[in-house]
Amino acid sequence: MVRSIITIIIIVLIFGFGSGNAFGELQIGQNGLTVNGFIENDFGLKLGHDITKRDEFNFFEQRLQLKTKTYPEWNSLLEQWMAKIEAKADFTIDEYYNARTNVDLRVLSLGIAPADWLDLKLGRQVFTWGTGDYLFINDLFPKDYESFYIGREDEYLKKPNDGIKASFYADTLNADLILIPVFEPNTVFDGQRLSFFDSFQGGIAGTNSDRHIIAPAKTAENAEYAFRTYRNFESYETALYFFRGHYPSPRGYLNEMNRELFYPRLDVYGLSLRGPGLGGIVNAETGYYNSRQDEAGDNRLIENPMFKFLIGYSKDLGNDLSLGLQYLFEQTLEYDNYSKALLPADFVWDEYRHLNTLRLTKLYKSQTIRANLFVFFSPSDLDGYVRPSIDYDLSDVLKLTLGANLPWGEDVHTEFGQTEHNKNIYTRVRYSF
Amino acid sequence: MKRFILLGLIVSSVFMFNPKSFAQTVDEIITKANLASYYAGNDGRSQVTMTITDSQSRIRTRGFQILRMDVQDGGEQKYYVYFSQPADVQDMVYMVWKYTDKDDDRWMYLPALDLVRRIAATDTRSSFVGSNFVYEDISGRNLDLDTHELLASPTDVYIIKNTPKDAGSVEFSYYMISIRKDNFLPVKAEYFDKQRKLSRVVEALEIKDIQGYASVTKSKATDLANNSNTVIDFSNIKYDLGLEADIFSERYLRRPPRKWLDQ
Repeated sequence: MVRSIITIIIIVLIFGFGSGNAFGELQIGQNGLTVNGFIENDFGLKLGHDITKRDEFNFFEQRLQLKTKTYPEWNSLLEQWMAKIEAKADFTIDEYYNARTNVDLRVLSLGIAPADWLDLKLGRQVFTWGTGDYLFINDLFPKDYESFYIGREDEYLKKPNDGIKASFYADTLNADLILIPVFEPNTVFDGQRLSFFDSFQGGIAGTNSDRHIIAPAKTAENAEYAFRTYRNFESYETALYFFRGHYPSPRGYLNEMNRELFYPRLDVYGLSLRGPGLGGIVNAETGYYNSRQDEAGDNRLIENPMFKFLIGYSKDLGNDLSLGLQYLFEQTLEYDNYSKALLPADFVWDEYRHLNTLRLTKLYKSQTIRANLFVFFSPSDLDGYVRPSIDYDLSDVLKLTLGANLPWGEDVHTEFGQTEHNKNIYTRVRYSF
Repeated sequence: MKRFILLGLIVSSVFMFNPKSFAQTVDEIITKANLASYYAGNDGRSQVTMTITDSQSRIRTRGFQILRMDVQDGGEQKYYVYFSQPADVQDMVYMVWKYTDKDDDRWMYLPALDLVRRIAATDTRSSFVGSNFVYEDISGRNLDLDTHELLASPTDVYIIKNTPKDAGSVEFSYYMISIRKDNFLPVKAEYFDKQRKLSRVVEALEIKDIQGYASVTKSKATDLANNSNTVIDFSNIKYDLGLEADIFSERYLRRPPRKWLDQ
């Protein structure tokens, strides 16, 4: 199915060139429903050795993305509400899993503005807020870390949700309220494609991992809510956040004997500030993570409450060179209770974690070449992750990417240390239309 | 009171009949040129096609729409730039709150990530979307950053030399600008590099009257050093649309104001 769709699209694109549209857009119907997207091929050569499904590569796929939008006017109310329907789907052939095909519906939403002060967006969509660069405190929306570590485009770090977003606008204050009826977890490593620290295996695990992650039941009380209120003070943006839901990654043991993990309940209270400073842009964000099923921190099976703080700075250094720096501080609260509750064989996590990031971006040749370096480094965990990449726009429609994912660590159980066997170098060829 | 009016009439008629003896000062000229090029109407909209041709004659195209609103004439402005071409930047929005007394505020909206990114805006001499135009060509260069000198005044243009007060902050040593006397539109700007060699030329290729405002509808920037150029075509220009300030906010980054955009 996916193969035939991709083949058809390629044929349409090739023969569509004659029609004189410089951008090779697909036009469906006479009233101009325009379909855009891209086809790409990705290959990631694996540099490390472990016991995942394959040792030669960890990223090899063909991807077709199609997207469209329309403004329905067949109903006077929809027209009055400035309705917009958006759809975006990815069709992939994943050679890692023996040419497994998949359809990933990323967006299918209806946006309306029923009042001057209200926007509503319903359906499948991507939610983002917060001020960090690859670091998230108040953005608890689901991420695909597998995509991130193998080198898929940044777009795929964010997973879509099925939900409703209501945005309220007043002169003095704006607010967003998001309702997610069914919990959507982060995509974390499962040992098939990427190896990771599996405490049940006592170290880094691959296909030998046999843990089960139990998702919350699809009940009304497991629905998630995210709230943000924000306003600008001249050039400064301030925001307050509240989230009620679950840890998006499995941070609790449900049943150790059955090797079952789960997503404990989580409330997050936070705030952020962003604006000009020190000749660049400064941002700060903080969050208090209330682990609702372990508020006292004395349950060794569930993550403790935490305090997180982030400060960032970015600056344009001129000549198409820009710099970004961030510092993230994390403190496990009720650490004494956690320490006391530990059993002798347990792995011990530190009370404090410090993480620094660096981003350098330099553009060459009239901005057709983009060299980017992103580095995570934690002096407390003694681990890090280097992500260099070069994008080259051969033309408006054809882009080549060469990049690498180079995590490392002194210990096997830290965030980046556990992934150090998954190092890769990847290439991408993307044709956009 | 009547006397003052009478005096005023006499003074203004003297001005009108003796334009040469009451020549405009250079500051008046550049102030009028700035208003004519960047502040026509209270607001404006334009569809923009940029054609970038590199030294090997390879062509790249950028398509976007600009919405502009003036907060004060000659001062603060807001810009909303909605990209449509090429496909990989479609629906991206670039928003600027331009100030004359401090760095501009700039945002970029990336629809695939639903991400509103804040952009550090210090280097206004960098290329705008990979073209031969720099940011300051698009939204104007602060008049106070240069000293201005009227060098010549042939029949139809004023020729003004502009020298940066802070030479270290820019890539040129000075630039010459030709401003038309009839409508105060700059028709040519020539930038000279640190060796005082001509390095970049920005020209107005076509000027049309739109709603009573003389407007540049086609302009070209040429880089002599690397033999590349960019042609901008402005179409569907409209002024005094009655844009509201809230369009230039996060709400409309996420939901482009279709009412004002020409889709």
